[in-house]
Amino acid sequence: MLLRKLLGDQGYKTVKKGMCDEHPIFAAGLGICSALAISNKVENAIAMGAGVTFVLIATAVMISTLRSLIPLRVRIITYMIIIASFVITVQMFLDAFSPTISEALGPYVGLIITNCIIMGRAEAFFMQNKVYHSVLDAISNGLAYSCTLIAISVVREVLGFGTLLGISVMPDSYEKWVVMTMAPGAFFLLGIAIWISKTISERRSEESKA
Amino acid sequence: MKLVRLLIDRLYDIRALNKLKPLIDAVDAAMFGPAETTEGGPHIVDNVDLKRYMSYVIVALLPATLASIYFYGWSVLRIIIVSYIVGGVVEVIFAIVRKKEIHEGFLVTGLIFPLVLPPTTPLWVVAVGVVFGVLFGKEMFGGTGRNIFNPALVGRLFITIAFPAIMTTNWQVPFTDAITSATPLAVYKTTGSMASIYDLFVGKTAGSMGETCRIAIIFGGLFLIFTKVSNWRIPVSYIGTVFVFAAIGNRLAPGSIAPPLFQVLTGGLLFGALFMATDPVTSPFTRMGKYSFGILCGILTVLIRSFSGYVEGVMFSIVIMNALAPLIDHIVLMLKYRPVKI
Repeated sequence: MLLRKLLGDQGYKTVKKGMCDEHPIFAAGLGICSALAISNKVENAIAMGAGVTFVLIATAVMISTLRSLIPLRVRIITYMIIIASFVITVQMFLDAFSPTISEALGPYVGLIITNCIIMGRAEAFFMQNKVYHSVLDAISNGLAYSCTLIAISVVREVLGFGTLLGISVMPDSYEKWVVMTMAPGAFFLLGIAIWISKTISERRSEESKA
Repeated sequence: MKLVRLLIDRLYDIRALNKLKPLIDAVDAAMFGPAETTEGGPHIVDNVDLKRYMSYVIVALLPATLASIYFYGWSVLRIIIVSYIVGGVVEVIFAIVRKKEIHEGFLVTGLIFPLVLPPTTPLWVVAVGVVFGVLFGKEMFGGTGRNIFNPALVGRLFITIAFPAIMTTNWQVPFTDAITSATPLAVYKTTGSMASIYDLFVGKTAGSMGETCRIAIIFGGLFLIFTKVSNWRIPVSYIGTVFVFAAIGNRLAPGSIAPPLFQVLTGGLLFGALFMATDPVTSPFTRMGKYSFGILCGILTVLIRSFSGYVEGVMFSIVIMNALAPLIDHIVLMLKYRPVKI
């Protein structure tokens, strides 16, 4: 409730929507590609989550400020230019400060440009709302995406490599689950997570109807 | 008898156990047979139902199971028990959450699954595989009768890919404890030498627990076919295709494709063709569909065995064809019942 007071009524609603009801991965099915590819190690997941969240917030600020100036007919191209410039910033930052992670993420940093979460939020939310709410929306969506990525990557790294953030956590006799280091492992985990979250949300909506 | 009846009736009365009703139902049905009778016609005047089908398959699997216990000792029984208990728990949890009755389908999956594992599989790997098989092979699609893939094969496939070291290198030689060797197919692939036909028939070669004793498998498979529980079309076309394709291929490329009789008798081909490809849920239901299912399975099996990194291809080809089964049926129906052009 403190959060509600802090953010204002509408702001709280925006955050709740972004984090639960319209969770980008579970509810909207956005950003699945990078969630599958990058969630093999916690380190990569954190870097990716931070990158996407940063780009989201920056785009939110830019687009919601400029939204009355952007001509509707070329709006998608405008989003692309704005998003791309921030993505390049992220890429250069990673290259400069942690080349190893940059190498591990490979092309996926550049592919943040095509991450549907950012485009989707820009089109659906940032174009219609003021800066404050847009930033709240960006933060909640970015956090929801990062948390999911990190949660999946924790399971995948522990099972697949026997390590957590590069530190070995399993006994020496531990048998590695090779499948978890490959994309199918992510598919299964993400599938289970979406299955559970859908079941819960269905239950909830049934209860609210009854 | 009366005491058990009384006890079960008492269980039904307890309010707190209402949630566990599927479990109590299952115990009740196992002890006394199902209480419900079909109302209204038309009927087939026979007590055909899922239960009888399933118990016939279990009976047919018994020879192979007993043979594997005879060859590999009591550890086989331990693996089967783990598979039944862990898989059963998953099944019961889903029945309770979904408020449905427990299906008998699991009795078969729970027995087939351990039979296609190497005898040295650690018990926890067995548990992982059966959980995955039941969860992703069956429950995800809505339970018994709605699955696309054979649940036992899905489980086997997952642990093969997840733990390649455990699942593909350690093969226990029958009648011994810890000596490991390669399977006849792997030996053929690396050295080109073949195990004797007699050894293959009796089961004196290394391999998965239930697939080595071919006589027991053929016996069980014929039992299923003669009682009309499974259809003869898929196994005949499957094994026949492997035989023919291997005969032709062996002439053309003797180095990579093994001779026909050896192909038919090694690996999981007989077990797969007789017990897994015939699964009525995951195979086509049209007659032509069954033939083409078997033929494609056979071609895929020989191709995977001869030209891929894997030694055995039965499991992969059946799963691939499971995915295509609805399509095959669709095409057959389309060709057979073309809409009339007006």
